[in-house]
Amino acid sequence: MPAFDVQQFRQQFAFFQQQPEWVYLDNAATMHKPLVVIDAVTQFYQQYNSNVHRGAHQLSQQATILFEQARSTVASYINARHLHEVIFCSGATAALNQIAFGLMHTVLQPGDRILLTQLEHHANIVPWQLHCQRHGVIIDVVPLTADHRIDLVAYEQLLALGPKVVSFSHISNVLGHIQPVAEMVRLAKAAGALTVIDGAQGIVYQQPDMQQLDCDFYVFSGHKLYGPTGIGVLYGKTEQLKHLTPIFAGGEMIDSVSFINTSFNKLPFRLEAGTPNIAGALGLSAAIEWLQKYNNEQLVLHKSLLLKEFYNGLTFIKGIDILSSSVHNAGIVALNVDSEHPADVAELLNQQQIAVRSGQHCAMPLFSYLARPGAIRCSFAAYNTLDDVNRCLLALEQTVEILTA
Amino acid sequence: MTLEQLLADTKPVLLDIQQRDLAEIEQAKDWQAKYRVLMQLGKKLPAIPEKMKQPELLVKGCESRAWLMHYHDKATDKHYFVLDSEARIVKGLMAIMLCLVNGMTTAELCQFDLCHKFDQLNLKPYLSQSRGNGLTAMASRIKQCCK
Repeated sequence: MPAFDVQQFRQQFAFFQQQPEWVYLDNAATMHKPLVVIDAVTQFYQQYNSNVHRGAHQLSQQATILFEQARSTVASYINARHLHEVIFCSGATAALNQIAFGLMHTVLQPGDRILLTQLEHHANIVPWQLHCQRHGVIIDVVPLTADHRIDLVAYEQLLALGPKVVSFSHISNVLGHIQPVAEMVRLAKAAGALTVIDGAQGIVYQQPDMQQLDCDFYVFSGHKLYGPTGIGVLYGKTEQLKHLTPIFAGGEMIDSVSFINTSFNKLPFRLEAGTPNIAGALGLSAAIEWLQKYNNEQLVLHKSLLLKEFYNGLTFIKGIDILSSSVHNAGIVALNVDSEHPADVAELLNQQQIAVRSGQHCAMPLFSYLARPGAIRCSFAAYNTLDDVNRCLLALEQTVEILTA
Repeated sequence: MTLEQLLADTKPVLLDIQQRDLAEIEQAKDWQAKYRVLMQLGKKLPAIPEKMKQPELLVKGCESRAWLMHYHDKATDKHYFVLDSEARIVKGLMAIMLCLVNGMTTAELCQFDLCHKFDQLNLKPYLSQSRGNGLTAMASRIKQCCK
């Protein structure tokens, strides 16, 4: 395979031609979309637009075929056993809400325990509070080690309390640290718990293999995998999907309705109420097909080179407080300028057209643990270049200079 | 520290910002110069002591926390403000906002068009809804003071 050509890769993103002056390092928030994805969405609306699974006419049948092909693309990408194990939803947040809501009173009963970790995104905390804790489920939290990773010793001790469900992120959205998910799934299964993986940041780092990973649920958003916003995936093993009470009802998810009793359609439709985001699914499928033309190891290697260069450059800037470790990092660096508020740092970077996120990144429990008011987050993607890294470093240097003048 | 003392300390600073720094910001030759002035503004303002930062003073809608204290002198019908923020640039921008309205009567404050004035100072982008810096929230909090 030829060496990875970042310029060739980057050229496929119209955004960078439209906004050449910007350095975009907010990829953990959302990624840019290659032209093939934008074309797939446009093409659907221009050529095939019809509702799915209501096949009174040929157009609808065609749209249904495309939509179901998209499901198939996703299923084979993540190596699901069955097509119906891929549930389309609006994103990782919706998926986690469906799982938390859906397990309550089926798998989870009042008094049961579930296990989360200190570094979760709010989307993997609040749904459990809203749908489960409120009904008497107890939430335990795995603490972190000194280098801000999940403490596996404490994890095992908490598993001994017998949680019914364990839910954790593949990659920390703030720190970029890659969690030992395979090991965590194995331990959780040995303890008899269902496993939920928040793959929002993980999906773009690694093509996850559901049969190998053997987790019960894995969720992700399309827009963090070069796809459109508003489309995401809830993967679940067939036997566990059956436990989920639908959070939304109506439309296609119904088998028969009367005012006495309603019976639900089979999977995956039972969990896909209403008209799905058809164009979004097609866009996500296009993103996956496009991405598979590249060797993911090369993309990961490119990102790790960018990260290395970034960490190296940071050592030359005075007063930088780096929260992320460079080891086992998927390409996210959270940092602060000593004794300065991240909002000021982000504002000065913004003036220099460096797009980063600042604040607590929907992970307030992590920041109270880190005892910081927040951080700026530089997140790298495979279309970022060494030039992006250097421009960000220069801008940071200028920022420090202005702040400490 | 009492509110009276804070007001007494803040008042001359806001006056100074209005008379001197605003012109400097308008004339700043590049963004670096503008931001250097903005950060100086934050430094000039006396800080609200931690004990006085009651939750009800917190201006919601900011990425960084900001506090606003308001005093209405009923005898003269004039409004005075004290401000603090965790973030220096935000504090500088908010200080500009305050210096424009400090000492206004209720009628003046009601009529005052903050957006227009910020536009004149080339600071309007900071007021946009999409920004989490809290300037918009601060503007509406100030406006509420005349009600």
